[in-house]
Amino acid sequence: MAELSLVLVTPERTLFDRQVASIRVPLFDGSAGFYPGRAPLVGRLGIGELRLTEVSGTVESYFIDGGFVQVKGTVVSVLTNAAMLSSEISRKSAGAKLQEAKAELAKTDIEYVASSRRLEKARKMLALASKD
Amino acid sequence: MANRRLLVKRLKAVRNIRKITRTMELIATSRFKKAMDRATEAAEYTRKISEIVADLGRANLKFSHPLLERRAEEKRSVLLVLTANRGLCGGYNASILRQSLAHIRGLNEKSIELQLEVSGKRGIKFLNYQKVPIHAQYTTFDDQPSFAAVDELGTRYAEDFMAGRIDRLDVAYTKFVTSSKQFAVIETLLPIAGLGGGIETKSEAGVDYEFLPSAQEILAEIVPAAFRAKLFKCFLDASVSEQIARMVAMKGATENADEMAGSLKQQYNRARQAGITSELAEIIGGAAALG
Repeated sequence: MAELSLVLVTPERTLFDRQVASIRVPLFDGSAGFYPGRAPLVGRLGIGELRLTEVSGTVESYFIDGGFVQVKGTVVSVLTNAAMLSSEISRKSAGAKLQEAKAELAKTDIEYVASSRRLEKARKMLALASKD
Repeated sequence: MANRRLLVKRLKAVRNIRKITRTMELIATSRFKKAMDRATEAAEYTRKISEIVADLGRANLKFSHPLLERRAEEKRSVLLVLTANRGLCGGYNASILRQSLAHIRGLNEKSIELQLEVSGKRGIKFLNYQKVPIHAQYTTFDDQPSFAAVDELGTRYAEDFMAGRIDRLDVAYTKFVTSSKQFAVIETLLPIAGLGGGIETKSEAGVDYEFLPSAQEILAEIVPAAFRAKLFKCFLDASVSEQIARMVAMKGATENADEMAGSLKQQYNRARQAGITSELAEIIGGAAALG
């Protein structure tokens, strides 16, 4: 069987670099899944959950904030602004961020884009939060 | 006798200073290692970005993006100066500030409006003293600048540039080449000169990519990302260089203190011996006079 490995990098560090069985990433318009043997692809990522199944079968979940995905050969590279393990997101802080984003008042178009992005991020984060 | 006591006092002072400089050297060494690790990890992201850009280049599309466009006339320019929050790091701050001042003068001569932003207490103090107006100052980027904080700056610059509020962004920082070579530079970050940093992967003869949503849209998104990564790299380079500069300066200071302590000790021993000799001479002289 063909192999598949995932490299998850943020501007600050490399979070994950191992072989995996399958990956699911949030693209700009919905989810996309990758199995070994995927044809080369470059795609824009959205905000949401990156889910990977390790070779052993355990599932891990990360929250990622936009960026790009590149599939080339057996390597899937995910470049994102920020990433964290879903299990490390606390419901409390995500909820607080959502309240903050909701309270914002956008006056210009640019501000509106930025604030709606923050709102989306906070919502998706809260949806993934598993800890109190 | 008074001379001897003075020497002992100075010797103690020099030894105390040596302890401090030695400790600072060790601290700078460990901070340097940490900063270096961060910079290496960050390099991976930049490398991947340039890889995708290079791949896009093969997809036969025109490279056009507002951030890449050079303005015919530069009216408003931004200079971001990255200095340290603390001193005692040799010529690190001085060389950046010297370059920045020359740059500011050049802009004034061409009567280009300048928006000066300074990071680091040292730079802020110096430029205030020189009576150069500073428009924004940051002291929060310490040894470990976080991407989120730099990203905020980067997004603002990119927006200002695209909206035409600024025509150019320069960053004055200390570029890190190798651990024995760093130098102060002023780099133009906006408009972006060359994407991908000249890294061309020639080995593979074109992978046929599927672009989602389209190559053009990926480009539109990746140009700002490349810019922000580049800005972040400037901050990381600056923090690595600062630690190296401090390490070298403190090593020099420790060695000087060693040398000074050695010569003071020698002087003290000589003075002591001279004292003993003269005392002996007095006793012998006294005994001879009595006898």
